[in-house]
This record gives sequence, C-alpha cells and structure tokens, in this order.
Amino acid sequence: MEKCIERPRSLCSLHGALDVIGNIYRAIPILHASPGCSMQASSRTNLYYLGGYHGLPSSNAYEKEVVFGGTQRLRETIKGSLEIMDGDYYAVLTGCSMGINGDDVDSVVKEFEASPYPIASIDTAGFRGDTYTGYNMALLATVKKLAKKTKTDSRLVNIYGQPPSSDITLRGDLEEITRLLARIGVKANTFFIRRDGIEQLKNSGNAALNINLSPWLAKNVDTYYKETFGIETLRFNGWPVGPKDTANFLRTVAERLDLDSKLVDKVIHEEELYVYEYLDSLFGNFERHRFILVGECAKALGLARFLVNVHGHIPLAIIFTDSVPNQYQDSIREEVQKLECPRKAEVYFENDVWEIEQIAQQYDGRATLFMGSSYEKKLAQKLGSHYAITSNPCLDKEILNRSHIGTHGCISLVEDLYNHF
Amino acid sequence: MNKQIPDTIRDKHPGFADVQVGSSGELREKAQAHCLKNAHRTFEQGIQCVQVNSMNALVSLQDTVMVIHSPLGCSGCASFGAIDRLNVYKHHRGRDNAPDSHVISTALGEKEVILGGEKRLHETIDQAIKRYNPKIVFILASCASSIIGDDIDAVAEQKEKEYKAKGKDIIFAPVHCEGFKSRNHATGYDLALATLQNYVIRDAHPPKQKGLINLFATHSLSWADQQEMKRMLNAIGLDANILPYNATYEDIMKIPAAEYNISVCQIFADEYIKFLSEKYGTPYAVTNMPIGTRSTNRWLRAIAALAGKEEEAEAFIKAESDAVREEVARIKRKTDGLRACLTAGTGRGFAAATLIGDYGMKLLCMHTPYYDEAYIDDFKRLEELHGTDFIVNIADMQPYEQVNLLKKYKPDVFIGMSNWVSRLGIPSFHILDSKRPTFGYRGVLYLGRKIEDAIDNNNFNKNLSNYSKNAYREEWYKKDAFSYLQLPEEN
Repeated sequence: MEKCIERPRSLCSLHGALDVIGNIYRAIPILHASPGCSMQASSRTNLYYLGGYHGLPSSNAYEKEVVFGGTQRLRETIKGSLEIMDGDYYAVLTGCSMGINGDDVDSVVKEFEASPYPIASIDTAGFRGDTYTGYNMALLATVKKLAKKTKTDSRLVNIYGQPPSSDITLRGDLEEITRLLARIGVKANTFFIRRDGIEQLKNSGNAALNINLSPWLAKNVDTYYKETFGIETLRFNGWPVGPKDTANFLRTVAERLDLDSKLVDKVIHEEELYVYEYLDSLFGNFERHRFILVGECAKALGLARFLVNVHGHIPLAIIFTDSVPNQYQDSIREEVQKLECPRKAEVYFENDVWEIEQIAQQYDGRATLFMGSSYEKKLAQKLGSHYAITSNPCLDKEILNRSHIGTHGCISLVEDLYNHF
Repeated sequence: MNKQIPDTIRDKHPGFADVQVGSSGELREKAQAHCLKNAHRTFEQGIQCVQVNSMNALVSLQDTVMVIHSPLGCSGCASFGAIDRLNVYKHHRGRDNAPDSHVISTALGEKEVILGGEKRLHETIDQAIKRYNPKIVFILASCASSIIGDDIDAVAEQKEKEYKAKGKDIIFAPVHCEGFKSRNHATGYDLALATLQNYVIRDAHPPKQKGLINLFATHSLSWADQQEMKRMLNAIGLDANILPYNATYEDIMKIPAAEYNISVCQIFADEYIKFLSEKYGTPYAVTNMPIGTRSTNRWLRAIAALAGKEEEAEAFIKAESDAVREEVARIKRKTDGLRACLTAGTGRGFAAATLIGDYGMKLLCMHTPYYDEAYIDDFKRLEELHGTDFIVNIADMQPYEQVNLLKKYKPDVFIGMSNWVSRLGIPSFHILDSKRPTFGYRGVLYLGRKIEDAIDNNNFNKNLSNYSKNAYREEWYKKDAFSYLQLPEEN
C-alpha cells in the first residue's frame, strides 16, 4: 500500500480470500492466523454457512506459535476441520503472524492429500495486499483446485470479477444476471451464495465463455481458464445497469455464443418495456440531478451509464474507491468520457475517507445527489445533497434480495433515489 | 517514559483457564485447591484478540485520532464495527449528526514488513494531526508491527518532542495490543486503561468531588443500560462518571477526582480500580453485573456499603422490586422448571445465570470464556441456585462444542448468541439489547418477557431448522462434545 488510509472500506488480502471462500456454500476456510483475524478480516463478509466468524476454524496462534513456529498447531487444526466441519472444499488461509514466522504451510497441507476433500493452501498474510489482491489469489486457487472439463457446454458461462463483499446488493445482482441470461437460454455459473456453488465451480471448465465484470480484476483467472480449458473471456466495464446496458450485454453475449438473434431481440424488447412501464409511471415526479458517485468501478460505471444514458442525470464527479492500478485507470477514464452527455464527469481514484471529503467539497452547492457508501452519508448532508447508498460499506441498512443491476435492479435503484428521507 | 502501570496480561492470574470443562462443583473444587490447569483444544474456532478490545475501549473518545499500525485488515472491527456501534449510540441519544470517530490505518504492506514500518507511522501521525488537530493520538500495535519490531513507544516520544517544538501539546499514547499477546481478550481493555493512566492522566491529582463515582463499563453495554445504571446510582445520591466508553476527555481527567470506584462486573477494570485505590486512595467494590433481581440487589448494596448509602439503597430496592413483583410472578408461572443453556461473556454469564434463577429455571450448561480463582464465589452463588452439576465449558464461543451439547441436552430455551442454535429449532434469545435496559429491575421484566416470547412463539427457529443446517458433520454429533479437549495431567 502506498500510503495510510483513513477508515478503509476494503481490508487486507486475508479479507479478500475469506470473502471468496466464505461466500461459497459448503466451502470451509481454515485460518492459520493469530486470534482476532477471524473477527477483523471477516468484517462485512458473509460467513453465514459457518454461522458467522465464531464458526471459522482457526489455529489461533499465540506467542508460542509466533516464536517457535505453528506447523504442529496447523496440522491439528486441519485434521479437526476435516473431521468436524461439513464441507466439500477446504482452504487454508495464512494470516500476518504465521506469514512472517515462515511456517511451511504448503507442506503441512500436502500431508492431507489423501483426504477425500480438496484442500487449497493460499498465502494470504494480510500485508501481501488488499481485499482485491486476496480476491484474485483465492479465486484463482479455488478454480485451480476445483474446475474440471469433461465436455464444453455451449450454453454455459462463468461470471466473476466482483468481490462479494464489495457489492452491497450481491445476492440480488447475481439473481438478476442469472435471470437475464436464462431468458436467452444461457446458464450462468455465479459461484457465490448459491447452494450449488461448488458444483458450479467444478463444472466451470465446461463453460463456453467467461464473463468478467471488472475492468481490471481477476486477469489471472482469465488466463488460467484460457490456458487450461481454452475458455475465452469477455470483459465488460462493470455490471450492466438499466435497459440500454442490459441490451448491449445480452447482444454481446448472444453474438459470442451464436444464439438465435430473434429470441434475443424479443427478450430485450420485453425487458425494455418492463423498465419503461415503471419509469413512465414516475415521470411526473422526475427530478434531474447533478450527481457525485463514489464506489468501486465494477458497479459505479454501470450505475453512471444508467443514470446518464437512460435516466437523464448530469454527472459531476465519479470517485473510484477500488485500488485500480495505474495501468487500468485510463481505460476507466475513457469509459466515463463515453457517457452520453456533453458535460463530462471529473474522475478520481481515491479511497481515503478524508481525501474523498476534500474532493466532494469542491462541488458544494452544485451536487444535488450524492451516491456512495454509509461513510458518505453525513458528507451528503453537509453538501445539502440527496443521498442514496449504492456502494460498500453499507452499515445502516439490511439488503437481502434487492438488486441495482439489469432491468429489475435499475427499478430498485430508482426507488432508492426517490426514497431518500 | 516511566509507566505508572506496566503492561500485564490476564493469563497470569491465579488459576487462569480459557480451555477447560467440567461440572461447576468439580471445577470450583480444583480452583479452590489451586490446581485448576488449562487444557488444550486440538481444534478451535475463531477467537477475538486483545486489539479489538483496546480499539473498542478508546474509539469513542472525541478529539482523538486512532492510528492502527498494521496492515489494512486490523482496522476491520474499528472502521466498520466500532464506528457503526457508536452511531447506534448516537442515534439512541438523538445525536445522529455528531462527528464520527477518526481511525487511520498505516496500511502496512510487504515493503514495510521487510524494511520496517516506522516511517509510515510517522507519516500517518502527521496526517492525523494535519486533518484533525487532536488532543490525543492513540497508536495501536498489531501482530505484524510487533513481530517486525517497530518501536511505537520511541515514535510516540519523538513525535511529542517534534510537535512540542512546533508549539503543539499533543498526547501520543501507544497501546501494545498485538493480537497474539494474551489468550484473554479482556486484556485489551486493561492495556487501554493503562494507556489512559500512563499517557493521559499521568500525574493529575484533582481534588475529590463529593458524590462522584467512576463506573467502568465495556462498550458492549447499550446506551439504555448505561442510563439505567446512572438512574440507580442517582437514586442513592451518587453521580456516575461512566468510563471509558462514551466518555469525553474531561470525564477521563475526572477519574482521580472520584470518591469511589465501581465496575460493571467483576472482571472488567478490576486491576485498574486496584491501582486507583493505591495511587489515589479511592475505595472500590468488586461486584457482579446488575442483571436479574439477585445480582442487581448485590451490585447496588455493594456500592451503597462503599458510600454509606445503605438506607437509600434499601428503600430503592424495595420500591423497584415491588413495582415488578406481580409481573415477574406471572411470567414465572410459565417458566418455572424450564431447562436452560447459556452462552455469554463471563461477567454477563454469571448475572444471566442468576436471572434465570429468578424465573425458576434450571441451568444445564454455561459456556463462558474464562475461569480464574477470583470467580470461585460467583460459581458458589450459582451452585446455590442451580446445584453443582451444571456443566461449565470454558471456551471463547467454540460453536462446534455448543451445537453438539445442545443437540444432546435439548434444553427448553437457549440464552445467548443464537446463529447456530436457531438452526437446531431450539427456542432462543440474546440478552444483549441495544434499545431497552437489560439491567436493573426494569431489565428483569424486559428479559423475562423475552424468555416468555421465545417460548410462546418459536415458529421461526422451528421452520428454519427444516431448511438450514449447521456446518458440522452428522458424525460429529455422535461424538462426545469435548473430544478435542486434551485435559492436563493431574498431579
């Protein structure tokens, strides 16, 4: 990390890895870490199968293991996990203290090769990087461990590129993208949340195509699928949000999979009508906003396209909070330039809560709508803007099956823009 | 710097155990004979660390910045959890717009772990001061920063000199709360209180304020419970200074001015209270958490004895008990004889176990994080209510043991965090509540009604158990719940 960060909204590489493994139903993360990692690094992730962080197997390495090494402790922890925890896939994740003291984790994990269950070993010591680093590492390790190819299914796609906890409407979004693809006859492996997540990962080698929703994440996974199974990756600049985006998304996928274009056109037309029925019923209340948007690029780009290209708002500034490496920033800037409005949004890459406040204050008096995370709620009030929560972290609302993407999701988004009291 | 209070860890207390199991009578007898030894769990689930409690203790102080010297993950519980918890407090106090606390992570990466992170710590502190001009900068150690040998004390001293030269009196207060330091996470609170004394209060010696009592309380109490304790203390003519959660800098500086010290329970701030008695001659009482009639009576009487307010206390106890007697009796007709299992923090657990006694319920097992010889009397009191046979499982949660035991015991009701218990279909409720008081005589009624509600409508747990299973193998339930406990050899 280049600098200090005030009130981080993404955490360490262990967090990113827990986010991947913990969101796969019946996958069991095993921590080789000091106490506290189970609680801190699982903040805002979904460990519901385990019943929360208390259920997470951990070696709880204390001073003794830090000083004398923790491999014996790890051995008994893995053994107990396999005997007690009811999983189909296990992943040993390393925390800082056990990453620094030089335990040979891979060798210990290898001792369990005869186990009927696949076990991955992932060096996710917190200082190796941030949530996104951990996401890339754990997703690749998991795909390597589980994915097999028997026969290509020409109607099957893998979807990834969205770290689960970074998407505040994760379940709804995965449901919506699955629904949309199903309408054109395509089955989607989304891996996370679904109770058949592990089956989906196993079958993912049979997919005809990968859909990567991030402009920059999981390139290592794209490469692995290509080299191992010959699966190409179609990369999108974020989720499809709204009817235009959805039409473009479905057409692009359909072309690549050589689907019946008549069916696709029919589905697109029906989905568009669905959205405009709702927008039409609201048009008397339409209020055109000048907006500031804070969030991760996979979500923020899609939201911006819907807000500008479909719903007719004016973009003032977009602040991308995922730690987008320099080499990808220009392509994201270009995507913002393409928004269909002569006034172009200013683009920033920043995740520090104080720095974001400094940026936003330049727009004081001009912004009428502020979209961001719970961290930005008071800031929006300070600027006299309406506020809607669209990005991580969401601390003051329960979101279950709500979505902000696709055609059904953009309607919920519009509700959120109006229900701002 | 010469520290008034050195860093200590609770693991050194006589008879400390965080891994043990047995009937209450058996464990107590061993503890009384000074031969209770820690066992070893060959399989464990996640445990909290001391750093989380140090953060929780200090995060609510205004005009401070907390610098967490660590990789990004160690700010999870502060950035998401602690600040959000404070927002709940503010909401209950009608102060939604009060400013947020400031937490900055030094965001240590591979480079710093190899080359050292002190430079980053200096830069982060400079940012903290530039942004907020605080009175105090707390510097929290982590596993990583501690193992690589970053000297947070030296950085604190350098910074104090550097800013003094610029004409700024800022307190730089290091907290050595690396996660692997202690098996007892309450140590994190001790470390935070020691830091407040060593670096903030220092040698301040204000005159005593008549009727002022310091009430040391954890962050896990709701605003409603803080208010209920305040009300009870007011009723016997005392003015409560509640610390450290939700306290201000001025409240902290008032600590030496109090006439008396009391804690919310027997295992919180007990060491600091002893220190205050030695340094400032402030008398104190060690008592239990005021949950349930018996425990509330005991708590209030202990304080009244300290302050010579026995008459006021008895009048208050009578009036408040009379006010709830009829309703308690009504609920008790339903709950009498029900069998209960309980999981809670040690102090809260003791008190909750007396509360269920108020309602005529029988304790089957109690999961509690710690044992030490200081708790012998508490267990004796519980044995008077529930007999000596109830199982005491010394465990920081460990739900794999809990579900195993609960499946075998099939209690009528479970009290505590019930994520995994709901899936077993057992009626359950949590004694933590953020909106209404669980403490004092009003709390007795509130919790009694919660027991009644859990029993009268268990449809949710019952239905859920048909669709959601816990993450444990079927074979596990056939084994003994404590199969992974290696007991120490007896002498």
